[in-house]
Amino acid sequence: MFKKGLLSLPGGSLPINMLKKKLTLNILLFLILTDLLETLTQYCFKKAAISPGVFTVYKAADIFVFLRMAFSSPYLWVGIISATMIFITWSGILAKIDLSVAVPVASLSYITVPLVSIIFLHEKVSLLRWGGIFFILVGVISVSLSTKDKESLS
Amino acid sequence: MIRADLFPILYLIVLTSICDTVNQLFLKSAINSLNISVSKNIFKVLFFMFKLLLTPRVWISGIFALLSLCIWLFILSKVDLNYAFSADSMHYVFIAFGSSLILKEKVDLKRWLGTICIVVGIILVSLS
Repeated sequence: MFKKGLLSLPGGSLPINMLKKKLTLNILLFLILTDLLETLTQYCFKKAAISPGVFTVYKAADIFVFLRMAFSSPYLWVGIISATMIFITWSGILAKIDLSVAVPVASLSYITVPLVSIIFLHEKVSLLRWGGIFFILVGVISVSLSTKDKESLS
Repeated sequence: MIRADLFPILYLIVLTSICDTVNQLFLKSAINSLNISVSKNIFKVLFFMFKLLLTPRVWISGIFALLSLCIWLFILSKVDLNYAFSADSMHYVFIAFGSSLILKEKVDLKRWLGTICIVVGIILVSLS
């Protein structure tokens, strides 16, 4: 999958000796767009994954049957297109702004994905799970915060 | 207690996260190997992208991305999206380890604390 990992793409290393910290409204909107796209991607993948219905794997070949059914779902292709768009917008964003500024805004998807799963997929999210999500958010943000200086050199 | 039915799926999530990490490490090492010169010229960037596509390491990265997607779809057919998505954040942890071990990048204390925080979060999410 194309993840918004800790990777900065070639586009991300264009201006070299420049501090890229100023979060403009434009960039913010693009970051929110990647959040929404990420949520859409995950929603579509989930829809594609449950399209074969309740599926039990008895032998290894069943996995291929499952994958064929999942890949024939139009949801999957919407998800892949949306994931590709994330890849493009994300590398565009990293060309303009530090990873340490981008990731905290981008990790909003850890909140939007559970929200979408509650509303559209009728899943239940317990309080304990929200607590875990909070820890993950703090962790993801502090992992990215320390990239400040190195990012402009890489 | 971690719910019994979530436990085998957790292994699969570890597997897809490892695939993602391998994918990112290969991509990063392919980009590093090309020694890009800094340029704002769009054609140079496109040319760079094209050269990147010809690198075998990028293909390996692509294979792992595909593998990761297949496992991910299987996971999603079994568990709630919100659980899988939260637990999948462990790829941040693996990437921190991988980039410090394989790419020899420096990972400072703040980042290690962040990864510990993520692990605590994943454990909480897996509790029911």
